[in-house]
Amino acid sequence: MATMLNIKDRNERRCFYVVHPLDDKPELKRSADDLGPITMTPSVKWSLLALRGYLVVMGLLVSYQVLNLSGLFGHHIK
Amino acid sequence: MKVRDFESCKRSVVAEPGEVSRSADTGVACGNSFGAQPILLAGQVVHSDWARRMLTFLMVIGPGIIVMVADNDAGAVSTYTQAGAQYGMHLLWLLLLLLPCTYFVQEMVVRLGIATGEGHAAMIYKRFGKWWGLFSLVDLLLLNFLTLVTEFAAIALAMSHAGVSPYLAVPLAAFGLILMIATASYRRWERATVFFCGLNLAWLLLAFHLGPPVGTIARHAFLPEIPPGGITSGLMFLVIAIVGTTIAPWQLFFQQSCIADKKLRFKDLQWSRLDTFIGACFTIIFAGCMMLVGGALSRAGIHYFDPAQMSVALGKLHGPLVQYTCLFLMCNAAVLGATAISLASSWAYAEVRGWRSSLEHSVKDAPGFYAIYAVGVGLAAAIVLIPGAPLQLIILSVQVLAGVMLPSAIIFLQLLLNDRELLGDEYVNKPWNNYVNWTIIIVLFALSLILAAQVLAPNLFPS
Repeated sequence: MATMLNIKDRNERRCFYVVHPLDDKPELKRSADDLGPITMTPSVKWSLLALRGYLVVMGLLVSYQVLNLSGLFGHHIK
Repeated sequence: MKVRDFESCKRSVVAEPGEVSRSADTGVACGNSFGAQPILLAGQVVHSDWARRMLTFLMVIGPGIIVMVADNDAGAVSTYTQAGAQYGMHLLWLLLLLLPCTYFVQEMVVRLGIATGEGHAAMIYKRFGKWWGLFSLVDLLLLNFLTLVTEFAAIALAMSHAGVSPYLAVPLAAFGLILMIATASYRRWERATVFFCGLNLAWLLLAFHLGPPVGTIARHAFLPEIPPGGITSGLMFLVIAIVGTTIAPWQLFFQQSCIADKKLRFKDLQWSRLDTFIGACFTIIFAGCMMLVGGALSRAGIHYFDPAQMSVALGKLHGPLVQYTCLFLMCNAAVLGATAISLASSWAYAEVRGWRSSLEHSVKDAPGFYAIYAVGVGLAAAIVLIPGAPLQLIILSVQVLAGVMLPSAIIFLQLLLNDRELLGDEYVNKPWNNYVNWTIIIVLFALSLILAAQVLAPNLFPS
């Protein structure tokens, strides 16, 4: 469709030219290369902080579970 | 640009080398010529607007269908049939609730992929720095590899119940998976994968054959209810497993890279959204069918531990055709999951390393990209064949890692979709997108924390 051509042939019949994306010309996309790191707006800052907290909690939990399974707390989960 | 060969319906458009595509509906009058050193664009001529739309859609469709249907992998078959076995049709409404959730999450991926033309892993690296980039990548690679092992375990299990030795079935499956991508053609891989997705339609036949009347199914799907027995720890675990199965971290990485590899254009956005929506509908319908098939045995009072045992038990009740169809569908789910998950890893790693990472490149041109895929598939297959391999531990690790990674992966997606510097006003989330997506994120975090709380306090919910 990129190169969809609304054309008319000899018989004045409408023709549309449809091109597969892989066969089409390259597009100019929005690039992050020149932008650098994301701007730390309050929502970005708080989201990443919440994520860090979540990961710490989950990490501690997994460690607790591993230690528990290893019998460090005196009992085994069957 | 100019159009040549007006007599034929197979035409070529001639464009200047390096010329950037125009906006969606820019038509170019025939006979115009802009360049002296033309390149050829192969395409199709159609004579009605309806045919143009249909053909464009057929050319764009693929990533959305594949990512959604491949999400119903071997683990998903196990989870959904288990849900059906334990709770019958009482959790069908949950699947219907997950339909918009999974669509909205993947729709964000579609916008990001089309707007940037780059993969998710590379985008996290570029916008959030090396630490978060590395965290996301390592987490993804580890989780994907462990999931891949479970896919091969499912193939071994299903084939052994079909009378084929795992020592034959697993290497053959691994070889086939490598062959699927090694043809240096995205289109060939996509067609083969969409064909495998289509085989899932057999779930509909099975559910129609084994399930209850449509009216009963519709009542359970549209009227939310708490299953008999109330809220128990088993129910909570299953609900979390269903949510975690339906929205998986690898899907975000896979679909964005797939869109980038297919070079979808800005004007393809609406069709890509439709592709994703159709995929979401199919994945939920197939998941529902799996629940119904799982429930068929529990209604007959027969219990089982895995889908392969379920297939054998169904075979005793309904004949060998049902048994072998179930086993085949289990293998198909594992193969689909394996190719999508392995590609998600290969694309992510190669993008971050700056390697060539396209299925359009030959093995010689993109050795690193193909090597990651082949090594991952080969190692996972080998682990499954080791006698006494800790498969239960691997399955448990997959669940834990998926639980940890899903909320974090979606947070990055949500932040990227609010990145006005990167996406501009056109592709950035609208306020309603943010309300919907933050709600989904909060629910996912809450479910993860409930899972965590259950580990700390096993008696939190009655058993």
